Amino acid sequence: MFHRKRSTEDFVEEIKAHLELEADDLKREGLSEDEARSKARREFGNVSVAQERFYIKGRWVWLDKLLRDLRFGLRLIRQNPGFAATVILTLALGMGANTAVFSVMNAVLLRSLPVTDPQRLVYLRTSNSPRGTGTIDSTATFSYPVYDALRRQGRSLSRVIAYVPLSSFKVAVRYGTEPEEADGDMVSGAFFSGLGVKLARGRSFSEQDETNHAPIAVISYNYWTRRFGRNPDVLGKTLYVNGVPTTIVGVSAEGFEGVEAGRSTDFWIPLQSRAELNAWGNPLENGKTYIDNPSWWCLRLLGRLAPGASKVQAVAQLQFSFQRAAYIGLGNPQSGERKPILSLVDAKGFPGYDAEYGKPLRMLMAMVGLVLLIALSNVVMLLMSRNATRQREFSMRLALGAGRGELFRQLLTESLLLVSMGGILAWVFAVYATRALAAWAQIQSSLAPDRTVLLFTLGVLAFAAVLFGLAPFRVAIAGGAELAMKPSTAMSRLDAGMTRTGKTIVALQMALCVVLLVGAGLLIRTLRNLENTPLGFSTKGLVVFELKPHVTSVPQGVAFYQELMSKLRILPGVESVTVMEERLGSGASDNSDMNVDGKLPDVANGTSRTVRSNVVGPNFFHTLGVPVLQGRDFTDSDNATSPHVGIINEEFAKRFLPNQNPLGHSIGPVHFPYQMTIVGVVKDHKYRSIAETPIPMAWYMYAQIPIIGQMNVEMRVHGDPLAILPSARKVVLQLDPNLPLIQPMTQRAQFEQTISQQLMFARLAEFFGLLAIVLVATGLYGTMAYRVNMRTAEIGVRMAVGARRGQVVWMILKDSLLLTAVGVVLGIPLALMVGEALTSSLYGVKPLDGMSYLLAVVGVTLVALAASAVPAGRAASVDPMTALHTD
Amino acid sequence: MTTRKNKDDRIALLQGTLDLLILKTLVLGPCHGQGVARSIQRQSEEVFFVDHGSLYLALQRLEDKKWIRANWGVSENNRKARFYSLTPKGREHLVEKTSEWRRLARAMGLILDSSIGPSGEEA
Repeated sequence: MFHRKRSTEDFVEEIKAHLELEADDLKREGLSEDEARSKARREFGNVSVAQERFYIKGRWVWLDKLLRDLRFGLRLIRQNPGFAATVILTLALGMGANTAVFSVMNAVLLRSLPVTDPQRLVYLRTSNSPRGTGTIDSTATFSYPVYDALRRQGRSLSRVIAYVPLSSFKVAVRYGTEPEEADGDMVSGAFFSGLGVKLARGRSFSEQDETNHAPIAVISYNYWTRRFGRNPDVLGKTLYVNGVPTTIVGVSAEGFEGVEAGRSTDFWIPLQSRAELNAWGNPLENGKTYIDNPSWWCLRLLGRLAPGASKVQAVAQLQFSFQRAAYIGLGNPQSGERKPILSLVDAKGFPGYDAEYGKPLRMLMAMVGLVLLIALSNVVMLLMSRNATRQREFSMRLALGAGRGELFRQLLTESLLLVSMGGILAWVFAVYATRALAAWAQIQSSLAPDRTVLLFTLGVLAFAAVLFGLAPFRVAIAGGAELAMKPSTAMSRLDAGMTRTGKTIVALQMALCVVLLVGAGLLIRTLRNLENTPLGFSTKGLVVFELKPHVTSVPQGVAFYQELMSKLRILPGVESVTVMEERLGSGASDNSDMNVDGKLPDVANGTSRTVRSNVVGPNFFHTLGVPVLQGRDFTDSDNATSPHVGIINEEFAKRFLPNQNPLGHSIGPVHFPYQMTIVGVVKDHKYRSIAETPIPMAWYMYAQIPIIGQMNVEMRVHGDPLAILPSARKVVLQLDPNLPLIQPMTQRAQFEQTISQQLMFARLAEFFGLLAIVLVATGLYGTMAYRVNMRTAEIGVRMAVGARRGQVVWMILKDSLLLTAVGVVLGIPLALMVGEALTSSLYGVKPLDGMSYLLAVVGVTLVALAASAVPAGRAASVDPMTALHTD
Repeated sequence: MTTRKNKDDRIALLQGTLDLLILKTLVLGPCHGQGVARSIQRQSEEVFFVDHGSLYLALQRLEDKKWIRANWGVSENNRKARFYSLTPKGREHLVEKTSEWRRLARAMGLILDSSIGPSGEEA
């Protein structure tokens, strides 16, 4: 409480007492009773006015003061709009960048899953999978028998929940006649109830639904909004998933976007057991779905710890059942085989996020932190130098009885005014920036700022407000009340202290700027290197899309793709068409060891035997434009009845068939009884990503292997590659009305996705580097202009005694060059540390890249010169006579 | 402000000075509002005229700032009155402000007493 609440009655009582006391005194001085009373009243003045003033004051004194301070602050802003705009914009950019990056970090690394009691939720992990199994992720996916065994244990893990995507990208869905793509998962019946996710509409799944493989679906709130405009009639509608009809029975709670890293799940269906809805959209293996196939470890598992159970207890209790279940259907473990070991990890955040985005995000946060530091110190300097010119105002007010507290309150109000305007702008900026960041990082889950971010921003704002109030306050009271009486030359004493602080700040800013510029330089050069890396083929005119036809047998699948390719080839503008199982530039690859001529090839010690393979269609290398060095490309005449053929790359030939003609040798995967004869050798080219180094590769002909399912169609066309898509879509629909084109894009764009992180990183670094430069320039300009202002008289004297313009300009420039030199000397060691930390994010650039350092130093020097040019020019044009008369 | 210059030589108080005078008066011991007014008038040899409305608001303001505190009590002639006394914080403030005013007054005196007219623009 700042002031005691005192009643008006009490005040009236006091005045009454006063009048009586006064009358008593007057009577004692010889006046009559009546005279004394009326004189006391007259002397007092207007009693009711006094009462009214008391009333108003008691009630509104703080509001009144606040309003007065606000009005005063606004007047100051209006007096000097340029200053206010600089401060507000500086704050908006500095804080906006921080809010945006923090918002992403919060969403990606800090926010927990929007489920009930996330602390009790764990992900199941295994040290490895048994020999002879295939996995999606060797430590994070499990077979159906394992899931089935663990969920029946049900003691320390009260719930075990399985979830598995219906596709590694998106699945084909349809509501009306037009097929489209969506992100869908198959989940346990206990998915929603076990996670504790409420439904916004309708019902969730039950254990029964899982057992019966009920054809029902729950859609996400986000998808409901995006696709259906929150139409409540969506319940009961039929959703065709890969052509299988399911009924929408519910809409999940707002904010729940699934438990898959970086993805926003659109719909969920109970675990199914049918070919069209196999896990990950894979074709059946020997006619078995994931449920009947114990050698395919493809399910992700979540568990909820039973009340009172710890992770250690749960692992101890489940380990035996897990290890037994792991070998169901696989036979006994071989001697010496490492048994898989179960472990549990906290599921507070999203799996995989930290590994993928943790490091770049922390680096970004550090970068924007530096930018904020520069921005804040800039504003402090601006405020200090402006308020130094207000010194007399402050001294005068102190002399007239204003308390230090009042002065501080006034300054705080002024700073709050600026900070809140900057803050509002920063928030708007951040909201847009997070959208851009989400697009660049290809994170589909929501990154929008939430309450935690708001608190963070408010915290920074409050800190800034107090800082901006305190810094000028020191200057303000330094003069004391006496200064009001002194002529202006007395100010020079203060000026020295003030500019020393200012110079230190500018030098530090320069240092930080060097760090940011070196970092930005390294990242941008990395990006240039990546962008200019030859792929080994031309992406001009290449467009790619994925199809997931419903395939019941291999001949039917082959017939489908044959018909498709022949129909696509005759479209106008199409040069050539082929298919491939793994899409180029998607980061995916099929890796295995390969026999050469019936045995594992001899390799030099430590060299890997791993071969990447892909299943492709006829004219594959012709379509891509990859040169065939020896032999031939696949053709339409390579079919199921003709001899099995394969094609390898240079690296394969070099490593496994050195110094001999590779054509005619037979190769085949170790674990699969399939042999093919090498008919061609092609030039090495980029396969998974831009940054990869060549590794041995082999290609199979799709029409010859005993397995077929989803494929990517690659087309080379004349003109704009994307323009062919509408007619391609029509062709596909004629063949199957349930098939959407999944992830259609140019091949170039697909490869660029593999450097999207570097791309984002470099673009942001570039932006923050520029921002830092601009901020440092304004800061330096402010300090220099202020100094020149302060030294007007001195400059006048110098010029009066014969200094030339050039000498005066040099005097000012020397000042800022000196600051730059100090900043560079301080900044380079820091930059070395940053470069070291960035090493793993660089491509084709050494952390000690001379060019980046040189550009950074040249950059800050130019900025220093530019920022001091105007003040220096002003100094040189000082008229000695005017200067001497000033003040 | 309702303070006006009377037909005699009484001077309206400068803003900010009233607080100081009240604090100074209370150094001598607790006193009620009317006593403070009388004391200021008397001690300034009747030069200052204290507007009573402003006085009570000033007392309230000082109380809000915790420089003085107030209690109801009984005056020497047995009247109920609100007595004000100085707090340690108020005493501190008084010492600080007093020296400031002394310096201000001295400086004013120096300027006004010097034989040169209003100072020029030269620095």
